[in-house]
Amino acid sequence: MAIPIYVVTGFLDAGKTTFLNHLLNRRDWRDVRMMVMQFETGEEDFQSRYGNCPCISFSKKMLEQQPAQIVEKIRSLLQSRELDELWIEWNGVVPFSQLQALLLHASLRNLCKIQKVIHIADGGKIENLLGRTGGALPEQISTCDFALVRNVPSAKLFKRIRHLLKGINPGVKVIEMKSYNDLYKQLFVKKGRPVDIAFQTVLLIVALHFVLKPLLEIAQIPVNTIINVFLGIMLQAVPFLLIGVLLSSVIQVFVPQNAIERRFPKSIRLGMVAAILAGFCLPVCDCASIPIFRSLVRKGIPLPVAVTFMTATPVINPVVILSTYYAFNGDMTIVISRVCLGIAAAVSIGLILGSWAGKGRVLSGGTLDQLMCSCGCYEDAESITTFRGKVGLFIRHSQGEFFSVGKYLVIGIFISSVVQTLGTGLFTTAQSGSGLAISMVIMMAMAFVLSLCSSSDAIVARSFANQFPMGGIMGFLVFGPMMDIKNVMMLSSGFTKGFIAKLVLTGFIVCFALVFLFYSRGGM
Amino acid sequence: MQARAFNPQIFLEFLCYSAFGGLMFFLVRSGNYLFYVTPRMEPYLYFTAIVMGIWACAGLGRLFRPQYKIRSAHCLVLVIPILLLLLPHTPLSAADLSGKYIGGNAFSGFKAATGLLTAVPPENSPDPADPAADNSVVAEDFPSVLTPLPNNNTADSIVPPVPDPQTHVSEEQYSTDLPGLDVKKKKITIANEDFGVWISELYGNMERYKGYTVLITGFVFKDSEMLQADEFVSARLMMSCCAADLIPAGLLCNYAKAAELKTDSWVTVEGTLFIGKHIYNNVAYDDPQISVTKITPAEEVKGYVTPY
Repeated sequence: MAIPIYVVTGFLDAGKTTFLNHLLNRRDWRDVRMMVMQFETGEEDFQSRYGNCPCISFSKKMLEQQPAQIVEKIRSLLQSRELDELWIEWNGVVPFSQLQALLLHASLRNLCKIQKVIHIADGGKIENLLGRTGGALPEQISTCDFALVRNVPSAKLFKRIRHLLKGINPGVKVIEMKSYNDLYKQLFVKKGRPVDIAFQTVLLIVALHFVLKPLLEIAQIPVNTIINVFLGIMLQAVPFLLIGVLLSSVIQVFVPQNAIERRFPKSIRLGMVAAILAGFCLPVCDCASIPIFRSLVRKGIPLPVAVTFMTATPVINPVVILSTYYAFNGDMTIVISRVCLGIAAAVSIGLILGSWAGKGRVLSGGTLDQLMCSCGCYEDAESITTFRGKVGLFIRHSQGEFFSVGKYLVIGIFISSVVQTLGTGLFTTAQSGSGLAISMVIMMAMAFVLSLCSSSDAIVARSFANQFPMGGIMGFLVFGPMMDIKNVMMLSSGFTKGFIAKLVLTGFIVCFALVFLFYSRGGM
Repeated sequence: MQARAFNPQIFLEFLCYSAFGGLMFFLVRSGNYLFYVTPRMEPYLYFTAIVMGIWACAGLGRLFRPQYKIRSAHCLVLVIPILLLLLPHTPLSAADLSGKYIGGNAFSGFKAATGLLTAVPPENSPDPADPAADNSVVAEDFPSVLTPLPNNNTADSIVPPVPDPQTHVSEEQYSTDLPGLDVKKKKITIANEDFGVWISELYGNMERYKGYTVLITGFVFKDSEMLQADEFVSARLMMSCCAADLIPAGLLCNYAKAAELKTDSWVTVEGTLFIGKHIYNNVAYDDPQISVTKITPAEEVKGYVTPY
């Protein structure tokens, strides 16, 4: 039978050996035949109190230069001794995948099997370490089964660290190292197999479809309509999301970290001009601009400029201009108004947010730098130099980003399709006979709910032209592409709630104010 | 030293990419994508299929790269749309969307566009007895933007419906090759696939087709709030962006026995075109309408109309 292996990871001085000393010297474990294998020699030594747990160690140098010898050594150990458990203290600065490669070596594969991976973090240091110490640490965090945090004086700090760790390893269990009882439960809890779970979910959805759908339809809820609307928006959005994640991954992988910072105009004013020009040149809609926005902020573009880019792109790009032109029968006034108001709104939103939200936390990953793209690929973009390697990283990065943003896109589209199937009548009913301000609020709320793709929302706006005054239509055309349910959900894949709330609020107020001023003075 | 072990996460992702990409390809090839989005999305959907294909191939290379922590939840992003596309559901029909009629104006009513320019509701347009005033707006302010149709310059054979020099100019520009148009008999037979083209043509140049006999197939749309008892709309569902914005659109028909027609039933309407008034929000709009002479039941027409 394969010997179960328990792996303890964590940065240098995180307290791995202390943890092992506590855990493995329990009185009731004294008959368990264990062994500790250290790949790092820290300040504290492992000492077995009952003599049931010998310890050997390998230096980092040996790990780097003679991995084959390590494999051979482990093999002879495993074959000569009868072990119940093997505990491995892994090196804090070497990726976990290397250990995995060792243990999956042909001569070891059938002898042992990794059972659990525990990550140990020092609460006082982890926030500073992450993002400054290379890719090994986040990689270790992302592969652990649960994380133990020691040295956390306040509950607030613990909450923050838990948020941080969960950002890197979604769904991981984070435990404060106080009592060991919780820990034992975690150690021996059985893991579900993710692939089985995936197939069970598929079966569940199919079952729900056949059971719940008829039930809901009896209750007058048009599930069929919701499904059609959902698929409609989905098919509309996915291609643009793909364009977005591909471009964003190009920025992340192929553009060196300091190139943008060095070349990008230092002054905000020039930066704004560059953002608007870039927005004008990119034929993408709002699904694409959000991933790009995320990587721009990560690459260190000033926040006002990045926000301007994100809000301007979906309003002023050539595809949108053309579709507006056709939707309104070549009426240049509307096209020009839309572009100008869009640029004005984007610049104002950028400037306001820059001074309002610039000091708080913006990225939900906190202090993490470009390593943390929450895409699961922790290779340092700078360390891969071959073109082939970069292309591989680019593909993995875009896939990871597709899933991380796509998750929120699916949720956003679902909410939007339910809301609009069950209650768009409200909007047009509320309109009858009201003034410009109210019409505008209605139209902007409608744009927010409908979550249309900005490349074709002009036609929909056009269909309301009889019921609503031009100001309302323009509110729809300017605000809709910048902010809607789907965008807000997508933003939450990388930004803090506070920042998103500020962005939506500022966006709404600025668009409303600009369009209202423009049209209450009689328009163009 | 590169260890090899089967990686179920990569395999799962591979399945998702292939299924989604394949499905996109199949949807476009079969034309079924038109139930969800407009024909404009065709190249984008092909693009999606290609990217998915590349991703699937790239995944194959990593299929035997070991990975301790296996994740699967993220695949739901693709699994959900795949399942929803595959599981049985019916395309939306008129009955799902009743109460959303917007008239033909979303197509390309010139009246609404002129109204938009000045940001005031359009005035009640000139008396139909004085077509010249109205036509001048149409012909001069809005040259051939709307209907970029082929022009064979066979205007000589065309008898202008309104003896007005300005209309004659626009007559040369438009409408020579519209499918189903018989100028001599003053008859328009609107084939199902030309529904969108004809509605925008009729709304755009309503003066020109006044008095023409028209044959059009659509479902019976009635709405007690917007329509009178003797009115109904011979409508089709129009999609301008995706399935989320389907709305009935068509020509308003005057028919004394409209009440006898079953809502949402499919009919072929034959009648004479005239310019009527459609009142919405206390503002009257000019509208090409049909004075019905004959109604025959028709087969349901599948698919949606696009306003281009």
